[in-house]
Amino acid sequence: MTSIREEMWKNRGILFNFAISDLKIRYRNSILGVLWSVIEPLLMLSVLYFVFSSMFKFDIPNFPIYLLLGIIIYNCFRNGTTIALNSLTNRAPLITQIYFPRSIPAISSAITASIMLAIEVGILLIFMVAFQFVPPITMLLLPLVLGLQFMFVVGVCLPLSVLNVRFKDTEFIWNVVVHASFFLTPIFYQFDMLPEYVQNILQFSPMVQILTMAHHVVLYGMLPTVTSILYAVCSISVISLIGYLIFRKYQTKIVEDM
Amino acid sequence: MSEYALSVKNISKKFKIHHEERDSIFESMTGFFQKGKHSETLQALDSISFDVKQGEIFGIIGPNGGGKSTLLRIISKIYAPDSGSVDVNGSIIPILALGLGFHPEFTAVTNIYQSSILLGFKKETIDSRVKEIIEFAELEKFADTKVKNFSSGMLMRLAFATSVLVDPDILIVDEVLAVGDANFQKKCAETIVSFKKRGKAIIFVSHDMSAIREHADRAMFLNNGKSEIIGSPDDVIAAYGDFCRERDKRGNVSNE
Repeated sequence: MTSIREEMWKNRGILFNFAISDLKIRYRNSILGVLWSVIEPLLMLSVLYFVFSSMFKFDIPNFPIYLLLGIIIYNCFRNGTTIALNSLTNRAPLITQIYFPRSIPAISSAITASIMLAIEVGILLIFMVAFQFVPPITMLLLPLVLGLQFMFVVGVCLPLSVLNVRFKDTEFIWNVVVHASFFLTPIFYQFDMLPEYVQNILQFSPMVQILTMAHHVVLYGMLPTVTSILYAVCSISVISLIGYLIFRKYQTKIVEDM
Repeated sequence: MSEYALSVKNISKKFKIHHEERDSIFESMTGFFQKGKHSETLQALDSISFDVKQGEIFGIIGPNGGGKSTLLRIISKIYAPDSGSVDVNGSIIPILALGLGFHPEFTAVTNIYQSSILLGFKKETIDSRVKEIIEFAELEKFADTKVKNFSSGMLMRLAFATSVLVDPDILIVDEVLAVGDANFQKKCAETIVSFKKRGKAIIFVSHDMSAIREHADRAMFLNNGKSEIIGSPDDVIAAYGDFCRERDKRGNVSNE
């Protein structure tokens, strides 16, 4: 694990170079370009807002901000992991001809997603002004929560990038996981609305804990609970460790599998 | 005093040849119960050892499928060997195919930066040499053209110019230099000579025996993953010639 951190620091130039080129390639041939990373979450927000406040009469205080916070945190997870899936295969010519640490494409995918997240946090701030919502002082802790999320996304991106070279099924399975996690994360509902046995299972999901912490610090002016932190750190560590072991097992073989 | 630029010790590499591509987890699981039917192993390299000194040009010859490209890939760290080790003393640039892993959607200049930064060279070093690289490659008009529109000769020129001008300690060239025209070939030969004079090492694979005889200080004949002979170019070429005649003879016998 420490070797990955050293590699990251040594290769930070390449990491950002890849992250920027991922963004450029993502938005090439689109007229609105990078504006899409603003429009897309807003469109999603308006659909969800309409469905759950008019049709299902959910009564969550500051619902637009609650929704948007969930959407941008979920988007970061979705964007990072789906970019990582093809981050190695898309660079096949480079990888078969030049050696560089194979962790770079996966980590740069997480950075790409974080750049998009930064833009979306900007929208969140604009929304707060528009709805005259005064964020509590605890919102200063949001970067820490997002840092935890970054570690989680990196931990998932590493195994996904190598597995998708070896097994093309990874992409299809992962699409289902991403879809399911949208409904299994308290984005448009509150976690305590769920039946207790569901809560007991879902509390092990890092996304649930990260979003719960984000709700606490941004909306309720509360510190994250110790249980949240404990569950999040433990589940992220376990997932990242398994991910790292998978990555280490497959990374030497990727060129042969391409 | 001549130090080793590169030292290869007992490299072995096996490949699994899948006769039926197993790409999905399901196929992989079902295939697990019928192991051995779908794949066989190919000994691509069998305990290869050799050293290359600084300022030395080392040629590799051999028939197709002899393991030459696999060896170059292992030296360039692209494949991991099953056993053995490669000690590299200095920076290394491999030209293994047309281009240096160039991205088709990027321009010539962007690709120069991307490839050389990935190979571990500093951005500042490249800043000062980009113009020279483009001139050497004779691509002044195409510096900001996407590489996907380049011909194979142009790609090769760009790769070679980038490689020699970012100035690695060791240059590895697979049999691709033949793509350039006579004029560029001459320029390559001159560059290689000046490279050698400055104490850089070059490893190259070629089917052009006259090129081996002219440039290489030592050579290796690689056949079926084994190094048959390492020595002076004349001896090695003679051994390869014998091998080819033998193979032709055997081929004729079996045809009759």
